[in-house]
Amino acid sequence: MDTLALRSPPPLGALRDDGSLDPSQCAMLSEELAVALYEHMVVARALEGRVAELNLEGAASHHAGAAGREATAVGAAAAMSDADWIFPTTREFAAALWRGMPLSAYAHHVLGTDCDAGKGRSAPGAPFWKAARVACASPLAGTQIPHAVGAAWAARMCATDAAALVFFDEEATRCGDFHAGLNFAGVTRAPVVAVCRTDSAAEARHTGRKGVAVQATAYGLRGTRVDGGDVVAVLGVVREARLRAAAGLGGTLIEAVVAPIADPAAGADPDPITRMRRHVEARGLWSDERERHLWSEVRADVEQAFAQAAAARQPTRETLFDDVYADLPWHLREQRAETSAGRY
Amino acid sequence: MQLNLVQAINDALRLEMRRDDRVVVLGEDVGRVGGVFRVTQGLWEEFGDDRVVDTPLSEGGIVGTAIGMALYGLVPIPEIQFADFIYPAYDQIVSELAKMRWRSGGEYAAKLVVRAPVGGGVRGGVYHSQSPESLFIHIAGLKVVCPSNPHDAKGLLLASIRDPDPVLFFEPKRIYRAAKGEVPEGDYTVPLGKAAIVREGRDVTVLAWGAMLHEAAVAAADAAAQGIDCEVVDLRTLWPVDIDAIVTSVKKTGRVVVVHEAPRTCGFGAELVALISERAFLQLEAPPVRVCGFDTPFPYALEMEYLPLARRIVPALLETAKY
Repeated sequence: MDTLALRSPPPLGALRDDGSLDPSQCAMLSEELAVALYEHMVVARALEGRVAELNLEGAASHHAGAAGREATAVGAAAAMSDADWIFPTTREFAAALWRGMPLSAYAHHVLGTDCDAGKGRSAPGAPFWKAARVACASPLAGTQIPHAVGAAWAARMCATDAAALVFFDEEATRCGDFHAGLNFAGVTRAPVVAVCRTDSAAEARHTGRKGVAVQATAYGLRGTRVDGGDVVAVLGVVREARLRAAAGLGGTLIEAVVAPIADPAAGADPDPITRMRRHVEARGLWSDERERHLWSEVRADVEQAFAQAAAARQPTRETLFDDVYADLPWHLREQRAETSAGRY
Repeated sequence: MQLNLVQAINDALRLEMRRDDRVVVLGEDVGRVGGVFRVTQGLWEEFGDDRVVDTPLSEGGIVGTAIGMALYGLVPIPEIQFADFIYPAYDQIVSELAKMRWRSGGEYAAKLVVRAPVGGGVRGGVYHSQSPESLFIHIAGLKVVCPSNPHDAKGLLLASIRDPDPVLFFEPKRIYRAAKGEVPEGDYTVPLGKAAIVREGRDVTVLAWGAMLHEAAVAAADAAAQGIDCEVVDLRTLWPVDIDAIVTSVKKTGRVVVVHEAPRTCGFGAELVALISERAFLQLEAPPVRVCGFDTPFPYALEMEYLPLARRIVPALLETAKY
């Protein structure tokens, strides 16, 4: 085989410019699901817009932008089953929202309050939602890839048909954990769906690279590319990968080509949200009236969530010592007592 | 039953795998081969491919996937073939494993026991002899254990597996087969965080663990012949260390010598001396002394010069006693 001739295939798409669906790509999008996908992308965009404002106001720390990437996060999360695990990066809070994380939980997380599930310990952007198996991510590049493979592998060992979905940025593909994780995935045939977000602009600059999807072949995984701004195409590709994984056919590396949006308030063209809106409109599921109503409702919900979080307290100093271990060992008891007593 | 260290650890793994089907062993050649030191011998035959897993040669991948398995609900016990090879997994251990419970507010935890042989004296040279315990003791969220005999090895490993926190279980490979002793059949644990006084004495406290515990004991016997009565403390769990046992002993003797194979600077001895100074300053009759590996990489030809063997410990005991 002439490996030099290997090229990643053109990305699959499902949504056409006029809002209709490519029938070969998608026969499984119910009206209810179409609207839910659209609405979740809008919620994610509105949420990020508010966090960006809070950052400018100095009320919240830096937040890794996710605008333009909502279709990949929401479409992939929607393709998985409830028992599946999701390993997000800091840019996939929309996947946690899809899994049922309430806006208030994210607001408490962003402001680092004592109601944050993570007790205000991580900088904004790494939401987890244990009730729905959304794992707790670090901002490090690719460290979560072997975790997802391990969880998927464990699911298979336990003879369940659960799978794992992991997101990562294209930058992570240069790191050792990408290689280690996918190598283990190939060797173990763990039911894992690995979604790599590639920035379309960065891709154009890296003319020497042949894309990420081709690398799947070397690991014994299936590789595919999808238009990451097309929520329906992402849904379809991840669903297929999930079915293959659950059937014991091994993992898939999916390269989702996305166009990040620098300013979530300004939007962009093409914008994944606008593209999906055209679809729900073309199917007669949407109207200007519903659009106005959705945005005002979502903005009000976001506003209320952050108002509640802003009224919450900061974690107390003593909580710093909790959860380092399951129980407090003597040295942490001592340090906690010292700081409580106002000693150094 | 009389077992050596390898057999005692193997017995603990087998016992716990029979008792708890969440326990999974994984690593390089741990299956069919039984591990490079044969610690996992016979486990693959009994428990099969799904619970005794030969992995690709990638320590980061071994620990990284083990973390995912633990999140799912298994209790993985990865073996790192030599502690010298643990550094590719250091990021996963430090950034992910150690911080999982804390950064998730106590909601997620990755329970695993990372086993790795440590220490020199087996003609292993630079890359098969290191003792990296202080690199892990420094990291919040990890527990670090190092047994010195078969009885403790089995009991500490069972306690480590059942402990809710991630444990680095360092096995002193110089005494893998040399350390033999009576090991109870069946289930028992040696609690984490509890040191053992292996020799009582009035004059000097000697703190040691792992293979060097035996050198400390030989040195103490030698010193006794010269009229110096040493108290030898086997720390067993390095972190969280048994601070009460240490302080009680040092308050009694007023003098302390710490022995470890790792380089002296920022070795665990430094922390022990600091803890003692904070707690027993007025009882100290002599400056604390560290007899350690040198601040050099670990040598091949000169390993017996590098190791803090009894012949280096004895003068420290005598000087400290007479200070």
